[in-house]
Amino acid sequence: MHHIIRFLVLFSLCCTPLLSGGSHALASSESKPPDTLVLAIGGEDKTGYDPTLGWGRYGSPMFQSTLLKFDADMKIVNDLATAYSLSKDGLVWTIDIRHDVKFSNNTPLTAEDVAFTFNTAAKSGGLVDLAHMAVAKALDRNRVQIALQENDSTFINRLITLGIVPKNFHGPDYPRKPIGSGPYMLEEWNEGQQMIVKANPYYYGAQPFFKRIVFLYTPEDTSFAAAKAGQVQMAAVPAMLAKQHVPGMTIHAVKSVDNRGLMFPTVPDTGKKTDKGYSIGNNVTADPAIRRAITIAIDRKALVQGVLEGYGRPAYGVCDGLPWDNPNNSFQDNDQAGAATLLQKAGWIDSDGDGIREKKGLKAEFTIIYPANRSERQYMALSVADTLKKIGIQANVEEKPDFDEIQKVMHKDVVVFGWGAHDPMELYQLYNTKFAGVEYNNVGYYSNPQVDENLEKAISARNLEEAIPFWQAAQVYVKEDAPWAWMVNLDHTYFVNDHLDIGKSQIEPHGHGWPITANIHEWKWKK
Amino acid sequence: MNTQEMNPAQPFFNLSARWQSGDKRQPACLSAGCIALFFLLLFAAGYFMNDTGLAVDFLNKKIAPSLHYPFGTDWLGRDMLVRTVKGLCRSLGIGLLAAFCSSIISIALGIMAATLGRKVDLVVSTLVNLVMATPHLVLLILISFACGGGATGVIIAVTVSHWPNLTRIIRAEILQLRESDFVLLSQRFGKTPVWIARHHMLPHVLPQFVIGLILMFPHAILHEAGLTFLGFGLAPHQPSIGILLAESMRHLSTGYWWLAILPGISLVFTVKLFDILGNNFRTILEPRTSQE
Repeated sequence: MHHIIRFLVLFSLCCTPLLSGGSHALASSESKPPDTLVLAIGGEDKTGYDPTLGWGRYGSPMFQSTLLKFDADMKIVNDLATAYSLSKDGLVWTIDIRHDVKFSNNTPLTAEDVAFTFNTAAKSGGLVDLAHMAVAKALDRNRVQIALQENDSTFINRLITLGIVPKNFHGPDYPRKPIGSGPYMLEEWNEGQQMIVKANPYYYGAQPFFKRIVFLYTPEDTSFAAAKAGQVQMAAVPAMLAKQHVPGMTIHAVKSVDNRGLMFPTVPDTGKKTDKGYSIGNNVTADPAIRRAITIAIDRKALVQGVLEGYGRPAYGVCDGLPWDNPNNSFQDNDQAGAATLLQKAGWIDSDGDGIREKKGLKAEFTIIYPANRSERQYMALSVADTLKKIGIQANVEEKPDFDEIQKVMHKDVVVFGWGAHDPMELYQLYNTKFAGVEYNNVGYYSNPQVDENLEKAISARNLEEAIPFWQAAQVYVKEDAPWAWMVNLDHTYFVNDHLDIGKSQIEPHGHGWPITANIHEWKWKK
Repeated sequence: MNTQEMNPAQPFFNLSARWQSGDKRQPACLSAGCIALFFLLLFAAGYFMNDTGLAVDFLNKKIAPSLHYPFGTDWLGRDMLVRTVKGLCRSLGIGLLAAFCSSIISIALGIMAATLGRKVDLVVSTLVNLVMATPHLVLLILISFACGGGATGVIIAVTVSHWPNLTRIIRAEILQLRESDFVLLSQRFGKTPVWIARHHMLPHVLPQFVIGLILMFPHAILHEAGLTFLGFGLAPHQPSIGILLAESMRHLSTGYWWLAILPGISLVFTVKLFDILGNNFRTILEPRTSQE
């Protein structure tokens, strides 16, 4: 039904400017700042807006504020906190918070609320990653202490992402009626359609320029049509549409670590099954030579130009360009001759002349799975399959209607997945033997003791800086084993009204749309 | 009705004999032949066409229709002519299979309703009313979704939802035939029920069946395309008309008109051909009109 609705909306939006005599209907009034900003950038969270249930993991929580935050250059700066320190043994965080902060219902935010937020989130069963936290308690009105069970160098990221909720106003209906200390408060939310927010009068920072913002939850094509009709001031569009011209709007491309890669099952199929009865392992991709050959055969630049219209950059690792990335991850790709030699050496030879290599009677053939509604993943899978044919590997492309169906085959087939977070925790969960087969983390059952060792050293380092050498060391082995073939990092593309000044956007995590609101309180209307 | 109309000695589909008779059926035969030839060619093209046109080619993407690419290329540089022909064949194949299965159900239920007594008739009629009363598209989506989508889902959905009309026609035809003079007379003459079925019923029912089948094709194909367009049908990376149309929708607003217009016209053209083919067959085969 989605398509019908999309089509109708698209159609009516296309007609609107025609009927009103030209698409510049709104352009004339644009020099005057609008009272209400209308954004079609998605970002709806069906579970609601409760940080203790995971809201705000990707991008800012907006209704709530966090203890620390990233600035546009990815430097960690204070938000609610005024000072923070970590004990010598790395187990106790002490954080001082501002005195002047009030929630949107005019009640003060104290250390009690902070402690309550962390303790509640820890009980939410993995929705917020606080597994290493012991307990949080308020020392006095403005000082909170968080004790850890063991060292966790990524813990500071929890201070950056977890929005603080009020202890006395947090109940079962909180996700639908969030109260926080962020720059905006919820006015109205029509699920699946739109959300209206207004400026929080008690916000401790400078009052935002726009008093009211409407978020439309439209599909990408509809957002684009709305932008063309001049009905929104910003629209998140797929890279495919970014080359289009929209009068009065300019494309704003934001670099991201939102990547797409091929996940390989790294163990052979021995008939083993998961608890749910899904088979594990793939005899072809279990051979590191196959995986390595694929990573060097892929033409990443062509994918960026072809599928993403140039809005992206090649990806060689899961965290390209972030502080914990290993700069040596990159290599010469589009090297089909090298890939062929590699396969030849490993014993994969086309002996029967059908263009596909074999080794001991096993054909170099596997299936690449993509989710049916993600077009860019489909095109990447098709394109890679064509490339692999040139080096004698047969990749059959197959779609699955949703991620529930993908879960059934993701331990035995190659899957096009996307990751990318502002948190090295992702490395820990993707490549760690501990996380083999746990949710979507290490679905390929990758295991290398040297990687595990470095990951453990990294996580138990005292802080982020001390952990970085270990994060990077782990990636050296990962590069050799190639449990993933990372392909591209997307650039998130937005059509932005020429009069809207959105400042400098930070490098965005996985999720196209919402993360751009990280600095929404600084947005302005310019002449 | 005149019993001489149906001379059992003469095969009712003796086209060559009718061709020579130079009656109204001559042009009908001609156009039916041409259309059949067209479909034959289409399938041959789809079968023999090289797959290289489907390969991703970033150097030649989004080319407007030209001599080299009569249908243009899409955003991945795939040849739209190849995709359209392959897509049409795929859609046709699935439509044909679904229509064929559906008509088998029709004829089985139709004969059962007409010959096995009042209780069976009541059950079949209720079933017919039930399926006809449900909105077509809703039923299709429901069944296709329940069967897990894909080609199987589409075939089952179209099969299960398209039989009632033809069932009704066949049931009515047989009921009418049973009471007709020549059948009653044959019974008086002591002919066995099998003989009557073979020589009186079959020549009347078979044309109805064939025409019903042919006229069901366009429905089946359109519904297959519709289901796929809505995302409940075939896999997005394999060309089929529904997929081509759904994919090209986002490009309509961006000026790549050939991605939607040309496959769309091809679909309409094909479906219309089936319609003409069905009507011609009616003229040729039906005992009531075949002598005009």
